[in-house]
Amino acid sequence: MSAADIVATSVRKVYHKDRIEIPVLDGLSLKIDAGEFVVLMGPSGSGKSTLLHLIGGLDSPTSGSIRVGEYNLERMTERELTAWRSRHVGFIFQMYHLVPVLTAAQNVELPLLLFKMSSAERRERVATALKVVGLADRTDHRPNQLSGGQEQRVAIARAIVTDPDVILADEPTGDLDAKTSEEILALLNLLNSEFNKTILMVTHDPRAASHGQRVVHLEKGVLEREERNPARPAMAAS
Amino acid sequence: MALPLSYNWRNLFVRKTTTLLTCLVIATVVGVFTWLVGFAGALNRSLSYANDAHKLIVLKQGATSETNSAILPEDYNKLSQVQDVAVNPKTGEPLRSPEMIVQVSLPRRRDNGTTFANVAVRGVTDAAFGVHRNVKLLGKGFSSGSMEVIVGEQAAKQFGGVQIGDTINLGYSGNRGYKVVGYFSANGGPMETEIWGPLTTLMNSYNRNMYSSVNVLLNDKADPDKVAKFVQGPSVDLNAQTEPAYWYDQSKNIRIYLGIVGGLVSIMCVAAIFAIANTMYATVAGRTREFAMLRTIGFSKNQILLSVVIEAVFLALLGGAMGCIACEAWLVLAGNTKDMFGATTFTTMAFEIKLTPYMVVGALLLVAGVAVLGALPPAVRASRVHVIDALREP
Amino acid sequence: MTIAYVMMQNLRRNRTRTALTIIAFALPMAIFVAAISLVVALIEINAISARELRLGVHHKTTLVNPLPEGTRRKIEALDPGGKRLTAVCGMRWFGGKIPNESGTIQSLAADADTFPRVYSDAELTPAEIEAWNRDRAAAVVGAGVAETYGSKYSGWKPGGRVVLKSTVPPYLELEFHIVKVMQAKGQANVFYFRRDYLTESFKTAGIDSPDCNIFWVKCNDAASLAALQREIDQTFANSPNETKSEDENTFRAGFTQALGNLPGLMRAMAIVVVVIIALVAGNTMMMSFRERTRELAVFKAIGFQSWRIFFVVLTESLLLALLGALIGIVPTTLFLLSFPIRRMGYLPISALTVSPWAVVISVVIALIVGFAAGLWPAYQALRLKTVDALRRVG
Repeated sequence: MSAADIVATSVRKVYHKDRIEIPVLDGLSLKIDAGEFVVLMGPSGSGKSTLLHLIGGLDSPTSGSIRVGEYNLERMTERELTAWRSRHVGFIFQMYHLVPVLTAAQNVELPLLLFKMSSAERRERVATALKVVGLADRTDHRPNQLSGGQEQRVAIARAIVTDPDVILADEPTGDLDAKTSEEILALLNLLNSEFNKTILMVTHDPRAASHGQRVVHLEKGVLEREERNPARPAMAAS
Repeated sequence: MALPLSYNWRNLFVRKTTTLLTCLVIATVVGVFTWLVGFAGALNRSLSYANDAHKLIVLKQGATSETNSAILPEDYNKLSQVQDVAVNPKTGEPLRSPEMIVQVSLPRRRDNGTTFANVAVRGVTDAAFGVHRNVKLLGKGFSSGSMEVIVGEQAAKQFGGVQIGDTINLGYSGNRGYKVVGYFSANGGPMETEIWGPLTTLMNSYNRNMYSSVNVLLNDKADPDKVAKFVQGPSVDLNAQTEPAYWYDQSKNIRIYLGIVGGLVSIMCVAAIFAIANTMYATVAGRTREFAMLRTIGFSKNQILLSVVIEAVFLALLGGAMGCIACEAWLVLAGNTKDMFGATTFTTMAFEIKLTPYMVVGALLLVAGVAVLGALPPAVRASRVHVIDALREP
Repeated sequence: MTIAYVMMQNLRRNRTRTALTIIAFALPMAIFVAAISLVVALIEINAISARELRLGVHHKTTLVNPLPEGTRRKIEALDPGGKRLTAVCGMRWFGGKIPNESGTIQSLAADADTFPRVYSDAELTPAEIEAWNRDRAAAVVGAGVAETYGSKYSGWKPGGRVVLKSTVPPYLELEFHIVKVMQAKGQANVFYFRRDYLTESFKTAGIDSPDCNIFWVKCNDAASLAALQREIDQTFANSPNETKSEDENTFRAGFTQALGNLPGLMRAMAIVVVVIIALVAGNTMMMSFRERTRELAVFKAIGFQSWRIFFVVLTESLLLALLGALIGIVPTTLFLLSFPIRRMGYLPISALTVSPWAVVISVVIALIVGFAAGLWPAYQALRLKTVDALRRVG
């Protein structure tokens, strides 16, 4: 059980549209401790998803540097980033993005196909992950046979099955009702507290934000303010 | 209010690649289809002009075509017993035409003479022009007893060395020169691929004392089948067939050929149905939300159904038009002449593939029908979609 | 679970589309395998014929104009030492048919002494040659003919007796004793018997006609064939019996042309089919890719390398093509195996038999098409901008 800290320094990200420069992130710096649960908030276009993607290595910053654990992302090639993601990052999306033709267990198993691992070991890992998210009895269901909350649980299982250091969640409760959202957030909390995962979550929902130890507000590509959640003091990083 | 057509038009335009690919599939199928239909049509048209039910073709018993038939003069004389023969209004002579068929190998013009075709040479008397009612001289005819021939329009068009002024070598040893003095038409029938010359001279050149066949024109009152039976009977004992029956036998191989062609075309058409259905399915599936939106603002199921079908027809007509144009272009560039053997005649029948407006309209109607068939199932599915579900879908 | 499993599952994603694509792919493939079978069969037959090194010598005017029997001696005299030609076999058209049947069998009377040598592809065993030499009424028949009539009449097997009636004057009816059924593909629809038997029967009927329609000259090598072709035509130039010499393939190509050039049509169809399936498969893969862009982006986010995603898309296309090919090829192949087309007489299509080669070529073509169709979407998947694709969530 390792966890990694995240350090973003003076990150700039500029998009070009019709030859006009659109700065999405404008020299942003942010430090997240290993094992911390940080919530990113901000209006649409504030750059929070972009930041999440940059930290996940899906995209590279125009300038500035991002370090996750011992990896300096800006020095890595796309190929290296991809390989790094498969081992160190778990993604959770708003729309779950499960493969509709695969069962829950197969969806969870998907990232393990990139590992040299016996099928027995894979099965064991999948079972563990599904147990953690509380879906041990739904392994052979296909996504369309599951509820939204269950689908998101499968997506979370998929994100943790490789035992990553960091979990990046992009509006994980955006498409769920209040009760299910609470369950999913509780699950993320569990991953953070029990399994010591560093979690960075983007959300619009203040109630979801209340689950984080720290809430970071972005506005027009810069860090506007941040607040610590008194109800959830940060745990010491291991 | 129905959905405006520009809605469909723009939909097709937005999915440019898919529309283009589907159009090309349709165009290819339609192009091949129209060519094959043109081919079949040309053959059938040609055969349909050899369809004079009152003309009897008399052959020797056992012969299968005019080319391998031999009729002795005494056989010919027996035919005077036949009743109901039409008469030449000018001379009062009965319209019985003794004929001799031989062949000459002529170079095909379409491949610059690399390959040769067997063309029938028919020795005839004046009676032939009365018996074969669709034959019309175009200009000068041959004089009887001369070494002159006239050439069918199609033969002159498609084969080399048979144009006015040319001399062709005929005869048992192929060393008698006959001069081409004129052309004739036969309304597009198989005789247009023949060369006609004076019977007596030709028989002389081929050292023959027998005719190949006798063509007899019956008067309007006659019952051709009854007359044919009489000819086959003991007093004459020759084989007689009406012209349609004769050509039905001769076109046996052509019909097999057309059958194969027809089979190929039908399979391709069915494949096109699936290709169109595939595209339409994708179009519709990707637009469930859009349809739901249209439903919420008040369009009915049927209007949406109609809209999808119209879009498919658009697509089909576009592809169909491309196919027809490509086919016509091919015929212009690669040539539209073809020729084929009769089943046992060993002589060729030349014809031209032409796209008629009927064929083009027919092909377009067919492909539109195919498109509707392909588009209906997905359209029905689309119109059934639950509005709320669709709007919620990602 | 393996990556391969995931790919297989991908085909189930949009079952309607997979089914439509596979059918739209399979139907043209069914035509393709038949077309390519014919082409392959003809190539094989042509290759065998080319190896047989036979030169056909016939009258320049047409095949129907006879050449005197003595032509054989004159040809043999061109190479007295037998250095360039093995033997010369004169043949005369008999055009027999079974009394009361309609189809004419390609029956030819051949010089008894040289036939086994000139037609080594008939594969007569020493015992069969002896039977052929001993019995004047001996006949050698192609497997196609034997099968066609064997199901209806007895005698169409070695040792059997059959009766054929000629369709050319004087329409003799002769009995033959079959000594061999030839399996060679190029000889499937032919019936050979001894010419001395025919000449003698002519004499009995009061006719002295020992002429031939064609002389087949078996040459020792390709150079001799080319040389003899020139020399023979030169020898007979300006004589009453001017000749035209052609190698067997050219000779057969003349007939193929005359019968509508079905192989040419099939070749064209094969090309059209490839175009159609390429468009169909390409279209589907484009649609499939567009629908799944986001999912592929997720694959990348999870840590799948671009090249893996490239192969996932490409393999899906290949799988689709392979399935379509199998569904099209297998039924056609089974049909052609269970219903030998060679029974359909002397149309060139009678050569159509499925060979393993044709099947292999069809599958390979399908895979190439599947590969090509998947290449563009796969390349796009390779270049997929993960972030952009994820953003489309909306």
